[in-house]
Amino acid sequence: MSNLDLSKISLRPFKLSDVDDFLLWAGDDQVTQNLRWKTCGSREEALAFIRDVCIPHPWRRSICLDDRSIGFVSVYPWSGDDRCKADIGYAVAGDYWGQGIATKAVKMAVPQVFNDLSHLVRLQAFTSPQNKASQRVLEKAGFLKEGLLRKYTYFKGNIKDSIVFSFLSTDEFPHDD
Amino acid sequence: MERDREESVDLAQISLRPLQLSDVDDLMVWTTDEKVPKFCTWEPYSSKDQGIDFIQNKACEFLWSRAICLHDRAIGFILMTSCSATDQSREKSVELGYVLGSKYWSKGIMTYVVKQVKKVAFREFPHLERLEALVDAENVGSQRVLEKAGFHREGVLRKYLFFKGKSRDMVIFSVLSTDLNHQD
Repeated sequence: MSNLDLSKISLRPFKLSDVDDFLLWAGDDQVTQNLRWKTCGSREEALAFIRDVCIPHPWRRSICLDDRSIGFVSVYPWSGDDRCKADIGYAVAGDYWGQGIATKAVKMAVPQVFNDLSHLVRLQAFTSPQNKASQRVLEKAGFLKEGLLRKYTYFKGNIKDSIVFSFLSTDEFPHDD
Repeated sequence: MERDREESVDLAQISLRPLQLSDVDDLMVWTTDEKVPKFCTWEPYSSKDQGIDFIQNKACEFLWSRAICLHDRAIGFILMTSCSATDQSREKSVELGYVLGSKYWSKGIMTYVVKQVKKVAFREFPHLERLEALVDAENVGSQRVLEKAGFHREGVLRKYLFFKGKSRDMVIFSVLSTDLNHQD
């Protein structure tokens, strides 16, 4: 099904010049519906978001196809005694769904993150039980599903269940398929 | 854990009340006992000043807390903290924690107390949706308390916490406001 050459997928920090590509996916409700992000409504908003959030972020990368931004992977480490763990999130532009890009991006990000964040032992991800595609990304990327946390979090005004996944610094990376 | 058959406890003599400075000597019994904080982040106390500091300065910082008393003498402590302290999206969740003097383990006391506090939580905090507890995967006794008290075991969070020099797998349990309608 996929004609896309996944070797064209790369991760790099965001640049202000990504704004127009960024707006294509960050301005799409379908993409942001499972994120805590508000959908970007204008080029100005997108620019501000890249400048004020994406660039200073502890670990956020643009998922690029031929160096054009088509999504993101983010890792947010906890602080203090909890810096042994960090939360990972990601999204891909709607036009590029179903081609293994998010899986590829997460697989690329995981070893980089453990290398960059020295105290990190546990990478965790929380998905909606309804978001099967995202659960498959994590499973294919080698994360272990740990359980269903009931009424765990407030998400865009509603209390939601979350499925929690983890990848440890001691876990094995899955083979490339 | 040893079963002390010579001294069973009449659970009707168990009560909950705020911890007071006059409880300090009783508090020192469980805080100096190495067995007690084995799965806690804190080390056994070595001076009464620590006990006084806890009662005067630390106990009041919890969202809710009570001394667990037998014949009005403190034998343990139970507390609730708001999950929103670490995560703003979790203001409808509260975490339960508890500790009991080792002499009183395996007598059903903690299960009895947790069952009471479970109901108190949803009564005291009417907007509360979820009461959760995290227990070290090796702390089987505490997991049994929560299971018997009607909490759902949701899974094991691998290497979720790091304290006393090692990573800990934590079993996560929860009870929802909606669960209570179907229980005792």
